[in-house]
Amino acid sequence: MRKLINAEVLEHSMKLQQMGGKVNVVNSKLCYVSFDISGFTLEYVYNINKKGNYFLERIKPYPLPLREFASEQDVVDIIAIDLEQFKNAIRSHHSGEFVDSGRCMVDVLKKFEDLFLYYNISSDNMNLLSDKMHELDKIISQVKSDSKRLFFKKEPDNL
Amino acid sequence: MFNHLIMAIIIFSLTYVLIMSEKVNRTSVAILGAVLLLVFKVIDQEQALEHVDFNTIGLLIGMMIIVNIMKRTGIFQYIAIISAKKAKGDPWKIIVVFSIVTAISSALLDNVTTILLIVPITLVITDTLEANPIPFLIPLILVANIGGTATLIGDPPNIMIGSAVGLGFMDFLINLAPIAIVVFVVTMFILKLVYKKDLHASQAQKNKIMALDEKLAIKDKTLLWKCYLVLGLTILGFSLHQSLGYHSATVAIFGAGLLLFISKMDPEEVLLEVEWPTIFFFTGLFILVGGLEEVGAIDFLAEQVIELTKGNMLITMLLILWGAAIASAFLDNIPFVATMIPLIKSIGLMSTMPITPLWWALALGACLGGNGTLVGASANVIVSGMLEKKGQKIGFLNYMKVGFPLMLISISLSTVYLLVFYA
Repeated sequence: MRKLINAEVLEHSMKLQQMGGKVNVVNSKLCYVSFDISGFTLEYVYNINKKGNYFLERIKPYPLPLREFASEQDVVDIIAIDLEQFKNAIRSHHSGEFVDSGRCMVDVLKKFEDLFLYYNISSDNMNLLSDKMHELDKIISQVKSDSKRLFFKKEPDNL
Repeated sequence: MFNHLIMAIIIFSLTYVLIMSEKVNRTSVAILGAVLLLVFKVIDQEQALEHVDFNTIGLLIGMMIIVNIMKRTGIFQYIAIISAKKAKGDPWKIIVVFSIVTAISSALLDNVTTILLIVPITLVITDTLEANPIPFLIPLILVANIGGTATLIGDPPNIMIGSAVGLGFMDFLINLAPIAIVVFVVTMFILKLVYKKDLHASQAQKNKIMALDEKLAIKDKTLLWKCYLVLGLTILGFSLHQSLGYHSATVAIFGAGLLLFISKMDPEEVLLEVEWPTIFFFTGLFILVGGLEEVGAIDFLAEQVIELTKGNMLITMLLILWGAAIASAFLDNIPFVATMIPLIKSIGLMSTMPITPLWWALALGACLGGNGTLVGASANVIVSGMLEKKGQKIGFLNYMKVGFPLMLISISLSTVYLLVFYA
């Protein structure tokens, strides 16, 4: 099996090199982790390699790139916090709506990227999109101010 | 003793059937079969270890390490792009040049390694040409097995034979390379008749090939020069190992050790890529066949063969050549050769016939026979698996329509060669 994977890597590498890319192949382990929280699935994927890099990404309930980490312990810690936060969050009456909104955001982001890559949009439309983004950002800040904080073990990363 | 004989035959036969069935992993079966011989006290641990051919094991590991480091330089991609550009993007010319490269690489590295390196590159070329890869890959399978026949290190059966009998690199080169070259030329001529008419490429597709940049393929020039040096020394070492009084494994392990040292690569990274399942498969087989030898089953078989052929070297040689070819076309040739080696040795001890030609017959039959069907050799199975992952299929019968007649032709040519030079 390993030799077939190596052969595939060779094929992809050659194509990417001919496109001008520099391909650095690193042996690593890819780990899938899943938690079942009363029927609610939380899934992560992380990659450990000998070069000292650890890449962690949440894939369920909605995908979220969670950054690069310096050590395995950081990966375990971040999953532990995320798990605890989700355990708290699903007790909320709005957990379903939050998950749906999260998926919707990811979907919107993908569509936004398609706009950028496939269309030449007018300045007016660009302004319209920008205004709506800022509006949504303000609403999120407003909702935060109006809401009671429940989790204190760690400061929010983005709010 | 009789109980041991029965037990050894039962364990060996069951192991053999399971390996041939391909329903379970061959390495797991070989290890279990070997250890069962110890558990049932057919042989003891010391006897078992005496039967492991560490020269074969060392040679395999040494060459795997050298190739694993060498492939990181990008040299194979470089050669492939240069070759495709020399052929000006013409599909048939590309097949011819790639076939020559494959046959030579197979002879100097080994056929499975060569296929694993050349096929991904060929797939990039066929993607660029927007061509069906099958007419490109079937010739590569065939010539990889033909090229591997030519030298001691080209194909595992040759490594096993050379190691068990003390035949060296030059012995194989002198005795097998001439017929391998003839078989290669005849095979390419027939393949041209089969495939050339279906191979077309537009000027735009040819231009894409000409636009490939071979310089982008070389990843590490310093490492490349170190690899050239070590591979050159290793091949020189193989050419001289008998006159210098070294085993072939010593040469391969010297090359591997030297390259590991001067390349400054992490040994853990390199050793991870050694095909350990293959190494353990060989080890298990050596013990299994050793068990049969210890209980006298091999001597019994040898007596039967001598009785059948009346001790006639010519008949025995042709029986081995054709038997090995047909068996290798459908079955894994490694267990077959592992069993045949002590059998031929016993024939030599029990009769007056010269047995050196029998080794060439076994090598030719086992290596070239693998071309007969899609399951005949590891190279064939690997290419088929790689194509299936890309959603394409060679098909057992489709391959056999080309491979089996070509195998019969190659064995017929080998028959004439053996009759002319060794009868």
